[in-house]
Amino acid sequence: MNDSLSPTSFRSALLMTEVVIASQLCKTYKGAKGSRTTAVKDVSFGCRAGEVFGLLGPNGAGKTTTLRMLSTVLTPTGGTAVIAGHDVVGDPGGVRRSIGFLSGNTGLYPRLTPREVLTYFGRLYGMPDPLIQQRIADLSRVFGMDDFLGKRCDALSSGMKQKVNVARTVLHDPPVLILDEPTVGLDILASRTIVEFVQDYRARGKCVIFSTHIMGEVSRLCDRLAIVHKGRVQFLGTLPELRERAGADLEQAFLTVLEQST
Amino acid sequence: MKLSTVLIIARKEFRDVLRDRRTLLFMLLLPIAVMPVLLIGVSRFAMSQRTAKESRELTIAADPMGRNLLTSLANRWFTDNLLVLGVVSARLGVATAASIDELDELSARAETLKGGQSKKAPDGDTALLASYKAFQELTPEQVRFLGDASAISRLLKLTSWKTLDELPEPKDGKLAQGVSVPEDMPGKLGEPRVAAAITSKEKAVHAAIDVPVDALLERLDDEDIASSIKLTVLYDSSQSLSKEAYDRLETFIDALSRSEMRLRLAKQSLRPGFIEPYDLREANVASDSRKLQAVLGGLLPYLIILFSFFGAFYPSLDLTAGEKERFTLETLLLAPVSRLDIAAGKFLVVFTAAITAAVLTTTSMALTFRYGVLPEGASSALQLEFQPLALALAASLLVPVAALFAATLLGVALCARSFKEAQSYAAPLQFLIILPAVAAMMPDLETELRWAWVPLMNVSLLMKELLKGNYLWEFYTITLVSMLALAGLVLWIASRLFQRESVLLRT
Repeated sequence: MNDSLSPTSFRSALLMTEVVIASQLCKTYKGAKGSRTTAVKDVSFGCRAGEVFGLLGPNGAGKTTTLRMLSTVLTPTGGTAVIAGHDVVGDPGGVRRSIGFLSGNTGLYPRLTPREVLTYFGRLYGMPDPLIQQRIADLSRVFGMDDFLGKRCDALSSGMKQKVNVARTVLHDPPVLILDEPTVGLDILASRTIVEFVQDYRARGKCVIFSTHIMGEVSRLCDRLAIVHKGRVQFLGTLPELRERAGADLEQAFLTVLEQST
Repeated sequence: MKLSTVLIIARKEFRDVLRDRRTLLFMLLLPIAVMPVLLIGVSRFAMSQRTAKESRELTIAADPMGRNLLTSLANRWFTDNLLVLGVVSARLGVATAASIDELDELSARAETLKGGQSKKAPDGDTALLASYKAFQELTPEQVRFLGDASAISRLLKLTSWKTLDELPEPKDGKLAQGVSVPEDMPGKLGEPRVAAAITSKEKAVHAAIDVPVDALLERLDDEDIASSIKLTVLYDSSQSLSKEAYDRLETFIDALSRSEMRLRLAKQSLRPGFIEPYDLREANVASDSRKLQAVLGGLLPYLIILFSFFGAFYPSLDLTAGEKERFTLETLLLAPVSRLDIAAGKFLVVFTAAITAAVLTTTSMALTFRYGVLPEGASSALQLEFQPLALALAASLLVPVAALFAATLLGVALCARSFKEAQSYAAPLQFLIILPAVAAMMPDLETELRWAWVPLMNVSLLMKELLKGNYLWEFYTITLVSMLALAGLVLWIASRLFQRESVLLRT
């Protein structure tokens, strides 16, 4: 038998390990006058290296809160999650070093240039300057950012900004990438660049958690998915499993799961 | 907390805020520009207003006969004082006036010499140098005489006369609100139209004078009549030009009195001491610079405190609420740095901005004085000299002040959802600051030890004392320690706020 694994078997070997394990995540907010709002009641799932994991759900389902807890921006009020061996509650610094996170709430500094933004975050990740510049050059080639690396971010189009933002999330080459609706508001060209990048990233054996509303992206990208509604996971499995349970049409299947949700 | 991380954050935040126009305006431009504008602009304006008032032609109403008599008395003053006039003119290097109309030349020369008294004459102009010297050496009587000559000349040259009869009756017979005719007014001054003319919007006349003609003529005939002649001036003290008209008449009559008195004494072979049994001389130990420090000593701490606050204001809002608004705060929270590092980095930037603004204010003020682009006469008095130790101690007080402002503003602004909301939270803090900061400008407030416990007021008072060269060590120690403790407490609270996700993510 050959010592080295074939690409397929390498991937299947990776799929054995779960790099993201969310267990019984719960988030309750204190409101005015002692009222409590529960955004996430009980969310558990696992994502493996080399797969794209889709997180679906209507607005207000608790997707963004879940992802924010994974990114350590929010501390769970119950349950926990472990990412690349780091606990979100016990070792948030380790978690942040292991992930790249992008959402509608992660903006770029308008008064800085993309190069300055990327250099800044590279330094915060503790990367040496020559490595940062090397990464910026590589990512600039991948996303076609050469033309606007030196322009101020407030002068960029939303497509350009999103490319810079994705570049920021993968600057330190993290094993886990969390993208919260990364293609929202983008034109078809910019969306495609991002979708292709996600596919490439998966091919390199990384784990990508991807939340979206666009069913086309789900079917193109996601190896497995979770449908979240009313703060709970209502479905967890592969696309064929979803179709088997709720129907052949993806959109209809999604709606069916929502209707049946508890 | 990791220092290298804090510095990476601070460096980026500096770059960021320095590209923000509002921050630049409040941190750099305003402190630099406001001092020269305030000091030069206001003092020039005030001086030009004064000159304009002094050289303005004013209208005085009198009976024709009374007015003629005043002119005659002025002429008599001129002939009575020819001798002194000759002496003083010669000393100041002016040709002796041939008639009373030429008196203003002497007055003008005296004004020039007075304004530039501590200035050096240009090289080679020995005549002018001699005049300066001569002016310094004039006797008090001669100086007083110069003042009298100016008063006489001013009233004659800068008055346009009206007769009391030509003043119109007030419209609808009423006087303006708050105006009343005083009781027992002699002659026509008791008629409401005189008061109405002085107070009318058109300012037909600035003042009116009643000259008792008969009594005066009688006295001119028989100089032995020693009773005082009552002259009455009706004016409106609430209007500056009317007040100026009164002042001119008063100095004019004073000049006449003084001259006549001298003659009478001479006639009786008496010396001036006969009617002036006591002569109080004023002798001030404070140099011009010291007097100025007393004034500026209060203003400077106030401005330093205020501008330090202004300097911290925009960057603190921009780096907290502004970042929430731009969605960049959450991006930073995702980096593998502790929230304490983030707070420290931001604090460092705002703290520096507060210090910078305060230092620039002081520097700009010092430069304005040094290169005295100030009106003539003022610049020489403004040679501020502060002791290095006093400056160092005053600067040390700036540290807790800037830290307090930076921590307070960061904490308050972090609680806001948007820049606008932060502004409405932070702006009222100005009033909290102005009140204690203004303490040093209250002339009667003594620097007692108990004030050392009042935040900011202690700094304001102590800076004033330091600039005067008073080293109050106990006061200084209490102030520094209590201010550092307060700044530390607020900083701790602010850093706690930076750890609370409900505050950080409130959008």
